[in-house]
Amino acid sequence: MAQTQLAILLTSAALVVIGLYSAIFIDNIIKKIIGISFIEEGANLFIVAIGYKPGGVVPILMPGMDTSWFAANAAYPLPFGLVLTSIVIGASTLAVMLALVMVLYRRYGTLSTSVMLADTSKQEEYDE
Amino acid sequence: MNELIPLMVIVPLMAALLISAFSKFNKATKIFAFVVALCLPIIPIASHYGLHYFGGYAPIMDNVTNVMYHPAITYSFTFLQQIFIAMLGLLTFLVVFIYLTKYKKVSGPYLFLLFLGTAAVTAMLLTDDIFHMFVFFEILALAQVGIVAASSIDYSYEMALKYMILGSIGSPMMLLGIGFLLALTGSVNVTDIAAAVHNGLVDATSPVFLLSLGLIFFGWLYASGLPPFHTIKSGIYSKAEPHGAALLQSFTVVSMISIVLIMFRIYSTLPIFEVLVVFFSILAMILGVSLALTQTDFRRMIGFLAVGELGFIGLGIGLGTQYAVTAGLFQALNEIIITALLFIGFGAIVNATDEVDTRKLGGLLAYHPKVSIMLLIAGLAMAGVPPLSGFQSKLMLVQASLNCGFPEISILAIMVSIATFVVFVKTYYTMFLKPKPRELELEKKEVPRTMIFAMGILLIIVILLGIFPDIVTAGISNFVGGIL
Amino acid sequence: MKLYDQIFNVVKQFKKLFSPGPVTNADVSGSITAEIFLIVSLVLAALLLRHISILLAGFVTLILAVVLISNIPLIPKFRIEQEDSLEKMLFYAVVTLAIIVTFIYWGGNFV
Repeated sequence: MAQTQLAILLTSAALVVIGLYSAIFIDNIIKKIIGISFIEEGANLFIVAIGYKPGGVVPILMPGMDTSWFAANAAYPLPFGLVLTSIVIGASTLAVMLALVMVLYRRYGTLSTSVMLADTSKQEEYDE
Repeated sequence: MNELIPLMVIVPLMAALLISAFSKFNKATKIFAFVVALCLPIIPIASHYGLHYFGGYAPIMDNVTNVMYHPAITYSFTFLQQIFIAMLGLLTFLVVFIYLTKYKKVSGPYLFLLFLGTAAVTAMLLTDDIFHMFVFFEILALAQVGIVAASSIDYSYEMALKYMILGSIGSPMMLLGIGFLLALTGSVNVTDIAAAVHNGLVDATSPVFLLSLGLIFFGWLYASGLPPFHTIKSGIYSKAEPHGAALLQSFTVVSMISIVLIMFRIYSTLPIFEVLVVFFSILAMILGVSLALTQTDFRRMIGFLAVGELGFIGLGIGLGTQYAVTAGLFQALNEIIITALLFIGFGAIVNATDEVDTRKLGGLLAYHPKVSIMLLIAGLAMAGVPPLSGFQSKLMLVQASLNCGFPEISILAIMVSIATFVVFVKTYYTMFLKPKPRELELEKKEVPRTMIFAMGILLIIVILLGIFPDIVTAGISNFVGGIL
Repeated sequence: MKLYDQIFNVVKQFKKLFSPGPVTNADVSGSITAEIFLIVSLVLAALLLRHISILLAGFVTLILAVVLISNIPLIPKFRIEQEDSLEKMLFYAVVTLAIIVTFIYWGGNFV
């Protein structure tokens, strides 16, 4: 395994762990969401790392290229295609989450998770 | 006529986009939504079984290794997909119908979300491509959040945000698991991956393979609302509009079975997979039903019951024999119908009384006799009283676990059924039979006719499936025999 | 008599579970059913361990039964742990993820 690939894999592992840490321990909702989106980025980075090939070429078959040389040297293109889709989904999820946070911030006037997203079942069950 | 197969996804998807783009033309939107919703159950019934390769890339045979590769995103359409998509289409039609008649001015974005969710689960059920499934799984999560946030119930935004934040832990984990599988096999096609695993090209005991199981399994727990996600799942059911909740629970059930069938095909060689599924199913049954017993908000109570019933589906799949998996899938079909019936019925009560606390309700039998009778039958079906459909599938499950040599699971399943019955009888008594509290003011609000119509149709299916279960189980059993 | 008193106190403790608001007969009987159901089903589920080792199953079942019965009422404790606050949900989700991954990574080949 090339050292570049190892470095990428370690980074993605670190991103996932940071994300899980922030999910539990950070109270500010915006910071929490930023932290949690690290998990998604870590997963994306991991999939990119799968397709990495030391000394590989861009997987586009240009005219004049030898097919067997191309097959032996091109990077694996499937992971890149998948990650592109996954990034788009991640961005839309993030946008929806932040939009909901904006609405809730207007209602509560705070960004603290323990206030904003606390247990609400008691209040609504029996309000006089 | 395999061209109809992709249309099952494309029609609701295009309808969703068109409706949200042209939602200012109220009348046209209404008619268009109605027509599209009517088409949804008809397309799967009219379509023939078969495979559809997107882009027309047929499978390639590698002459050196004699292995088949699937380069295209493949949709496979068999009896199982047909029956579930038709049922989902019928439910979407009923829900859209209720929504269209409830409001004079319809909201384009809300209809967009309903159709988007239907398209997403349909694609999840059809697809043979694990990444394709993940993409629609995320789209489904967005649609679910939208449906919850669009409701006018208090604290619905909070619940939607909670669901989303939990989802952004659950789904990247699933993506990581898919990444591990991709790293091991170089493919995202389930048939290819399963073939590689079964032919020994992938070492089934390698830590990477096991880890991919763990991560995809965690994503599955989030998708299906098994513990630890049972609180949030029941929460979003109780915060959505009742007809929306009826659709939401069907999304949950269908996404649960579509993911678990993919996992089953890949990991069925690992005994630990079955242990995990059975463990979490039993946990869901115990926690779901015992929490349902202590609820005073009846929407939340049905939410917990729905989660508890999911345990039965998991149980059938975890036992892993042909009979057991058939029973689990049949239970899934029954649960979609029965829970939708309960949500719509109790939604009618919310509509008529504006009250969700069982302690403040009572004596509704005299005011809404039709709804209460239909709800009674639905509750009995959920608890598994013969001759209704819930009885047939639960009986099959009990027999299956006895055949596998787990009498404890049979006893547990029967106990959970009894506890479900207790929950239902308790709620039914406090809402319909107990004398009406003096403070409860019942304005002379009628239950909308469309709701009664929808409940009637679902009730007919419940009774039909209870008397003639073979029309479904024979086909499902064939399908299960194919993947085992 | 101690156990009897404890069981009697259970009903009183259910009051807190439903506060604010009145406690009705149906709710209390539902909660007691839930209590018994929880104990019985957990003990029954523990019996499944007999497929791994009969001795272990007997041991775990006995210990579980004693621990559960001496800790009644369980339902209020259970409901506090499973309320709607995001912190608890996230905590349990991450803990479950850790348990699944650990269990699979080290125990995957032994089951």
